[in-house]
Amino acid sequence: MSEISGGYKRETVLYTLPSIIMVVLTIYIPFVLSGYYSLTEWNGIAKTPEFIGFSNFKQIFTGGSSFMKALIFTGKYTALSMILVNIFALILAVALVKKLKSVNILRAVFFIPYIMSMTIVGFIWQFVFSQGFEDLFAITGMGFLNLSWLGDIHLVFYSVVFVGVWQSIGFYIVLYIAGLQSIPSDILEAAVVDGAGPLRSFFSITLPMLIPSLTTCVLMSMINSLKVFDIILALTKGGPAGVTYSVTLDIYREAFQNNNYGLGAAKSLVFFVIILLLTQIVLKAFKKRDVEI
Amino acid sequence: MTRAAKRKIGIIVFEIILILIAAVYIYPVFLMFMNSLKPFGEVVSDVIALPREPSFQNYADVIEKMNYPRLFFNNIVITVIGLIGIVFLSSLGAYMLDRRNTRYTRFAYSLIIIPMLIPFQTFMITLLKVMNVVHLSGSTWGLGIQYWGFGIPMATFIFFNFMKTIPKEIDESARIDGASTMRTFTGVIFPMLKTVTTTVVVLDVMWIWNDFLLPLLMVNSRPITKTLVLSAYTFVGQFNTQWHYAMTAMVLVVLPSIIVFILLQRYIVEGAVAGAVKG
Repeated sequence: MSEISGGYKRETVLYTLPSIIMVVLTIYIPFVLSGYYSLTEWNGIAKTPEFIGFSNFKQIFTGGSSFMKALIFTGKYTALSMILVNIFALILAVALVKKLKSVNILRAVFFIPYIMSMTIVGFIWQFVFSQGFEDLFAITGMGFLNLSWLGDIHLVFYSVVFVGVWQSIGFYIVLYIAGLQSIPSDILEAAVVDGAGPLRSFFSITLPMLIPSLTTCVLMSMINSLKVFDIILALTKGGPAGVTYSVTLDIYREAFQNNNYGLGAAKSLVFFVIILLLTQIVLKAFKKRDVEI
Repeated sequence: MTRAAKRKIGIIVFEIILILIAAVYIYPVFLMFMNSLKPFGEVVSDVIALPREPSFQNYADVIEKMNYPRLFFNNIVITVIGLIGIVFLSSLGAYMLDRRNTRYTRFAYSLIIIPMLIPFQTFMITLLKVMNVVHLSGSTWGLGIQYWGFGIPMATFIFFNFMKTIPKEIDESARIDGASTMRTFTGVIFPMLKTVTTTVVVLDVMWIWNDFLLPLLMVNSRPITKTLVLSAYTFVGQFNTQWHYAMTAMVLVVLPSIIVFILLQRYIVEGAVAGAVKG
C-alpha cells in the first residue's frame, strides 16, 4: 500500500488542481483585488492606485449617493418581485398539476420566456410598452394601455418589476410543480375523507409540505432580483431620470463609465455583504418554520 | 345535471381560462415574430395587425448587417469550450474529492464550492484586469475558458453529491482488472453520471448562451468576437427606430434557444429543476 500511496496523492492533486487553478484565477484573485482597490482611488489608467483608506465607503453611505438610491430601488424591486413571482407561480403550478389535455403545452408556454436572453426580453417589452400598447389602446380603448409605462417615474417601477416577473415565472412554476408532485396523494385523499375543503387542505397540508420548494424559490427569486441587470439595461437604461438604476447597474456605471474603479470596487463589496446577510436571514427564517411544523 | 357532468364542464371552463391566460402571457413573443415578417411601413402603421404579405426580406437584410453566421459561430465556440471544460474538470475533480477523503480533499472541496456564494458583480471590475494579464480577454476561446472558473463550483457541487450514490465496489473491480484511475473514470464512472451530466449541461448552456455581462466586459470591443446577445444589444440600439430590423434581430437571437427547447423540453425542464434543488 505504501509504495502506491505517493502516486495516489499525486493523482489526487493532479486531477483536482485544474479546477482549483481556474477558480482561484477567475474568482479568488479578483475578489481579493476588489478588497484592495476598494481602499484606493484609481481611474484605471494611472499606474498606481492611491491609497485613501475608508473614504470610498464613507462616500457610499453619506446622503444622496447614487448607491443609496440604487440600493433603495433594488430593495423595493426585490421585495415586490419575490412576492409576485412566488404567489403567481404557486397559483399557476397548482392549476398546472391538474390532469388537463393541454397541460404540457401550457407548461411549455410559461417556460419559454425563461430560456430567452434577458436582454431580448427587455427589448421585447420596450417595443410592447412603446408601440404595442398604443395600437392596442386604439382597438380596445382600455385606459391602462394609454399610460406612459416607461416614461413616468412612478409607473416605470411597476413596469420593470412586471417584466422581471414575466421572464422568470416559468422557472418557479416548474419548481413548484415538482414540489407538488412529490406530495403523496394518499395524505390529500385522507384530508378529503376527513371533510377538508380544497382551500383548507391546501393551507393545512399542501403548503406546509411545500416548504422545501418554497425555501428554494424564495431564496433564488431574492438573489436573482438583487442582481437584476440585463433586463433593466435593455428596458430603461436606468431611466427615466435615473429612477430605475439597480445596484449592479450602479456598480457597472461607477467603474466602467465614470472610471472610478476604487469606488466601484467598494460598492461591489458592500453589495456582497448585503447579499450574504439576506441569504442567511432567509435560510434561518425557513429553518425555524420547518421545526415548528 | 348530474354531479359528474357538472364537474366535467367545470374542468373544461377551467382549462379554457388557463389557455386564455397563456395566450395573453406569450402574446409579446408572438408580436415579435409577426412584426419581423412585416416591412417597415406596416410596423409603423399597425403593430397589432398580421403581416399582409409575410416576407423574409428583413431576415436576409439583418443576417447580412449583423454578420449573423459569425456571431452564431462565436456563440458555439464559447459555449462548447466552456461546457467541455466545466463538465470534464468538475466530474473528474468531484470523483477524486469523493473517493479520497483526506485533509487535502476536504480543503479543496470547500475552496472549489465556496465561490457559489460570491455574486459575479462583486469582482467583475478587477476580473477584467486579471484576465487582461493572463490574456484570456478579447477572444472567444479565452471567454470560453473563463467560464470554467465560474461554472466549476456549482458543477462540482452537483457531481459530488451524485458521486456518493455510485458504489465504491465498482472502482475496485475496475482496479483489479488493472485499469488506471483515469481509465476507471472515463470508462466506468463517467458513463454512469449521465443524468447529472444532463443537468449540468442544461444549466450551463442556458447560462453561457444567453449571458450578457461577462461577454460585455470581455469581448465587446471588436465586432468579430461579439456574441449573439451582445450584437443584438448594439444592433437594437442602432436601429431602435427601425423596429422591423430590431424585431428580426431579436428573433434571430432567441430562435435557436426556442427550437432547442421544443426539441429537448423534457430534459431542459428536468435539468433546471434538478439544478435548483441541488444548488
